[in-house]
Amino acid sequence: MVRVSLTVNGEKRDAEVPPETTLLRMLREAFNLTGAKLGCDVGDCGACTVIVDGKLVNSCLMLAGQVDGRDVLTIEGLATADNLHPIQKVFEEKGSLQCGFCGPGVILSAKWLLDQNPDPSVPDIRDALSGNLCRCTGYTKMIEAIQTIARERTV
Amino acid sequence: METTTKTGTLVEAEELLRARTHSPLVPLPIEVRGPEPNRQTPAVGQRTTRPDARTHGLGQTKYIDDFYVPGMLYAKIKRAGVASARITKVDTSEAEAMPGVVAVITGKDIPVNSFGPSLKDQPVLAHERVFHAGDGVAAVAAVTEQIAADALEKIKIEYEEFAPVLDPLESLKLETPGVHAPSANIYGHKLIKKGDIEKGFAESYRIFEASFRTQMVEHVPLEPHSSLAQWDANGRLTIHSTLGRITLGRADIARTLGIPMSRIRIIATVVGGNFGGKNEITTEPVIGMLAKKTGRPVKCTFTRPEEFYASTTRHPIIMDYKTGVTKEGKILARKVRLVLDGGAYCSWSETTLGKACILCAGPYEIENLVAEAFVVYTNKTMTGAMRGFGAPQVCFGYESHMDDMAKALGIDPLEMRLRNVLKEGSLSPTSQALHSVVVKESLLQAAKRFGWNVQGAGQGQGALP
Repeated sequence: MVRVSLTVNGEKRDAEVPPETTLLRMLREAFNLTGAKLGCDVGDCGACTVIVDGKLVNSCLMLAGQVDGRDVLTIEGLATADNLHPIQKVFEEKGSLQCGFCGPGVILSAKWLLDQNPDPSVPDIRDALSGNLCRCTGYTKMIEAIQTIARERTV
Repeated sequence: METTTKTGTLVEAEELLRARTHSPLVPLPIEVRGPEPNRQTPAVGQRTTRPDARTHGLGQTKYIDDFYVPGMLYAKIKRAGVASARITKVDTSEAEAMPGVVAVITGKDIPVNSFGPSLKDQPVLAHERVFHAGDGVAAVAAVTEQIAADALEKIKIEYEEFAPVLDPLESLKLETPGVHAPSANIYGHKLIKKGDIEKGFAESYRIFEASFRTQMVEHVPLEPHSSLAQWDANGRLTIHSTLGRITLGRADIARTLGIPMSRIRIIATVVGGNFGGKNEITTEPVIGMLAKKTGRPVKCTFTRPEEFYASTTRHPIIMDYKTGVTKEGKILARKVRLVLDGGAYCSWSETTLGKACILCAGPYEIENLVAEAFVVYTNKTMTGAMRGFGAPQVCFGYESHMDDMAKALGIDPLEMRLRNVLKEGSLSPTSQALHSVVVKESLLQAAKRFGWNVQGAGQGQGALP
């Protein structure tokens, strides 16, 4: 077993997991944080996207042991229902999510992008979302939403 | 009571309510508006938000795989890996002896080992015979998913392999061995005849023949199939599942487990993409049996590879078109033969076959038509429902054929279509009189919007706004 101590959404957490446990499984099974989804388990779909020390990560490709001492942000740490993050608010208004399964990953990728670049171009947005697959084909409205947030912020 | 709903007028809702209830009602501000022909619904152009958008965005929507129940076991299914074979030996003893493995089942443990939305030709777990490489041959329930996956490798199965039938045209031949012998390989057929094609071809200026094929397509919902089974103290089974058609699924689960439908409760929550691929049961009877055997809740979630080889896919279709036209490009006669590759099991093939056959003439007025469709078994991943049920495949066929003919006749492809499209009152291939037909208007508007025949447009130059 591997002992892991880390910060998840601002809280100190500890877990003891088998060494093959991925960050995704630890979040879901040890911490009951099911916002990050298992879509492919091989780093292709981005449904498991989380932010580790400010970097976008496919949590299915990172071992739990690798996040010892680090800071992890999941979708659950981004906001609450009555205090939405602007991305969640605009995604809701624009109807950017259909089935919603890719949503947590896409929203975290969008947050990461806007943290790096407050005024991204459409190619910048496409590039940032390139690791997040959506099978309901809702990319257009996601891109529109991210552009809207950037515009509102820069005004 | 006499009420007539006039189109475009208001009905006294208050009166309706009063007549049907015993206690006096406070008048409600209800307006019942009848449909207004040829008028756009007021919903168009309105902005609305999805009721589930908030929980989606917060990551709080619970999909099936997000449910974890105390004491829950994880199930994994061993796949055959061979396309056609007889199972000669099954040894699960080594897997059963592994620490953390709680139960192992095989095909012999399933009370009624056959199901399907129409033909009951699909086993829950292959028993004696394997019909395609994705067939499940054994299932394990263990305390962790990793142990269940490791246990699959300890299950020893010996096969006597047969030459698989892989080509649908080969399968169509009567001398080809039956995939499900003694049943025939052709398990569905439809024939549509209209007018006199011999006469139509005889009067044609030119006759064009072409053959088209489409490939197998997987739905790839972002959320893999998942289900969670629990038995209660009174012998009732509750299954949380990604199933789209829960009532149909319940009938199949009742059949395979040999218990009445009234003992089964299916709970389906928000689905993470279906596209037709989650319309029938997959793992439900397996986890139902494992949960019964272990007395514990059991969950099974497909791996991404399982989505490809153990769930349904879109039917590949081989389409042979023969079309007779006048010099001006008016279609006089058309003969179509469709061969649908059904894969190992029927699933929704009958629906797909019917739609493909009815729609294969395209949105064109064709007085003389013969359309014939066959669906055949092959030792491949089964095909089933997927958006459009066969319509997208034949659309690729008839529109490609149309472009080829227009080019050969030197007619603009849009003009060629306008000369043949269905009009108000046209008869469909099955002689249904069609109403509200706006094919011509739609084509003209589309051509105008994307700049058909405008210099530089429509040439892969990114002409879209």
